[in-house]
Amino acid sequence: MRYVIIGNGVAGITAAFTLRARDASAEILLVSGESDYFFSRCALMYAFMDRMSLRDLEPHERRVYAKQNFRLIRDWVTDLDASRRLLTLQSGSSLAYDRLLLSTGSLGEVPDWPGLNRVREGAVHFVTLQDLGRAESLARSAREAVVVGGGLIGVELVECLVYHRLKVTFHVRAPWYWPGALAREEAEIVSEHIRRHGVDLRMDEEVAEILTTPEGRVCAVRAKSGHEYSCQLLGIAVGVSPQIAWLRGVKTPPRLGRGIQVSSSFETSLENVWAAGDCAEFSANGAPFIEQIWYSARRQGELAARAMLGDTIRYDPPIFYNSAKFFGIEYTATGEISPSLPGVQTFFCRLPAREASVRITERAGAVIGINMLGARWDHSIFERWIAERRDMDYAVAHLPEAQFDVEFGRVDLTPVAAAYHNWRARSAAAK
Amino acid sequence: MVRKGKSAWLVHDLTHRGLTAWLLTALLVAFYLLLYLTHFFTPVARSLGLSSKWTLYGLLYTLAILTGGIHVLRKYRRNRYQVVRTSVVMFVQVVFAFSIPEILKFFHQPEYYFSYFWPLKFDDLNPGVVFHLPLFYALYSFLGALVMVPLLGVFFGKRWYCSWVCGCGGLANTAGDPLRHLTSKSSRAWKFEKISIHFVLAVSVLLTALLFISYGLGHRATALSRFTYDFQTVYAFLVVAMLSGVIGAGLYPLGGTRVWCRNFCPMAAILGLVQKLGSFRIAVKPNMCISCGLCSKYCEMGIDVRSYAQANQSFTRASCVGCGLCAEVCPRGVLRLENARLRTPQGASLVRIAPLTSASPLSPGGQR
Repeated sequence: MRYVIIGNGVAGITAAFTLRARDASAEILLVSGESDYFFSRCALMYAFMDRMSLRDLEPHERRVYAKQNFRLIRDWVTDLDASRRLLTLQSGSSLAYDRLLLSTGSLGEVPDWPGLNRVREGAVHFVTLQDLGRAESLARSAREAVVVGGGLIGVELVECLVYHRLKVTFHVRAPWYWPGALAREEAEIVSEHIRRHGVDLRMDEEVAEILTTPEGRVCAVRAKSGHEYSCQLLGIAVGVSPQIAWLRGVKTPPRLGRGIQVSSSFETSLENVWAAGDCAEFSANGAPFIEQIWYSARRQGELAARAMLGDTIRYDPPIFYNSAKFFGIEYTATGEISPSLPGVQTFFCRLPAREASVRITERAGAVIGINMLGARWDHSIFERWIAERRDMDYAVAHLPEAQFDVEFGRVDLTPVAAAYHNWRARSAAAK
Repeated sequence: MVRKGKSAWLVHDLTHRGLTAWLLTALLVAFYLLLYLTHFFTPVARSLGLSSKWTLYGLLYTLAILTGGIHVLRKYRRNRYQVVRTSVVMFVQVVFAFSIPEILKFFHQPEYYFSYFWPLKFDDLNPGVVFHLPLFYALYSFLGALVMVPLLGVFFGKRWYCSWVCGCGGLANTAGDPLRHLTSKSSRAWKFEKISIHFVLAVSVLLTALLFISYGLGHRATALSRFTYDFQTVYAFLVVAMLSGVIGAGLYPLGGTRVWCRNFCPMAAILGLVQKLGSFRIAVKPNMCISCGLCSKYCEMGIDVRSYAQANQSFTRASCVGCGLCAEVCPRGVLRLENARLRTPQGASLVRIAPLTSASPLSPGGQR
């Protein structure tokens, strides 16, 4: 049996290890145009900031791949012919498979800003290894940067550029930072912190036009507010989208939506072809959904491999969780954490004298989401409370059990208990 | 990418095995060779009003720990564990490893170091030395090495000594902090460490046994005592002067800060064995690791922490000195040092929530 995996990111590599664990004799080939070896994409920023070398980003010693008997091919796939179970590579060679996994991940989204099509140099995404190379060479010469996009990649890129002593302006289209996950009060904590690092953070700012020199170098961003921001580096971090453009022109394209459409067992519309990770698009109650974080890619890679091995798999995303770090502020999210959910009750408490907060959301007497800033928490305990439909009283009373702070550094939660007591009393009085 | 500017380049060069790092290594090695093998520093010490070159060395060592310690306290000021631990290690150095021995000397007492124990301080169980000490010091030497060290190791792990008390660890965790990432993380280095450190331990135990036997036999075994004497001289030269001094500290800029502690220190070997039996561990928060590798990169003992974190395995490694830097640098708060027996209920839940599958394909077992 010959398994070919396109993409050696976390979904692809997890699939490869899972296949090997179950099938010692299978041929397992990984094709990647991006990198020779699997690396941690989330750690690109640490290479940019000189905390690690590129080699340090590789989670496994290289000899592991030989030991696992994986064949690693550095090439781009240009054609897929499912009727002959054949791939064509950019180098011209072809590659046959018995079972194929598409785990091509995502690329930085390209927005339709006027003037962006004139840009020859100066604009970067921050998703791939090649993006890192471009960002590094630009950061060497640039003095000012504008980063657009109020999500996680944006703030990471901002942190890197600040480290390299660029004057950074950070444009966020929304009225507060990351409204998809943070409430206004939480965003304030994060924004204050970002500004304290010397970043010019602009809310409600939208790009009107990218200005370039006659040679096509980025020289400024004109915003809809009328402001013009001079810059030699433009960071585009408005989101990521599945890397599927290459599939549109192949002999037998799988059914595509925003991503590669798959069943709940990771099957694409093509026989013997599966897809997993950022590029896979599922449908839940008719609505398409794509998961694009490290944790989901890893989970999907493992399950897709099991599906390829013949296991019966019905992928049902577990309770959501995610983590991040905004410069120095750590962030842990579990469950439904969007601040604009209807029909919910939300308890929020900012911890005194710390850049930290607690937000717990309850619906119909059960906790549905917990969003934490500035301290360390064990999300798996939050997951359990949500799965067990615990109420908010229980969650607040048991918060210390989920603390994961360093020894001697346990955050004092008495202000949270007091604030919760008051909040309960107020909401009872309101009724 | 190296930060722009000349000084940033120099810092990078010095901390990433550049030319300046090699120069610094040559300088350190030369310093230690002169210190151990010649009397070069004796007149220097005298001219400063110090009693010997060792007092001068102790003074320099203490200054290095204090300066480096202040840097570390500032750098990790938001991490209480680092602040407490660094303060303790600075305190121990100033008080127990420098001041008290000098004060004792002044009052014509034996120059005794309360912060070092057998087998690191070899003479502590050398009958020819320890039996001639006043009873209090002799008792402290015996009970310290044979009771206190292992007992504390069971409850708190190796860290109570190696990163809280010991001067070698003290220098590594203060002045050595900018070089901590240089320790090799390869599985080959791990294999070497397991052999070399236990070999040195075996040799030091053997030598101690010989010292007791020849002391007991006294004049009846002159051949044995002559052999033991030679053995001890060779040990003092190779292990104490060469491995702990010249190699251990001299190679900081090339091999990282724990070359001695990781590969050769017999006391670390004992504590490592005790730690494997005790309750100290690094707890891993399940399914939260992003495999970034900062933990492995900044582990001064060369432990590939990431391989455990990404496999959702809480773990205890013999070499871990519990400095806590892996937990500090982790951008997702995945790691937590703990004494499992003293832990709140969350320890139990970590076990109950199973990782993705029972046989995780990314487990370190699969790698090696």
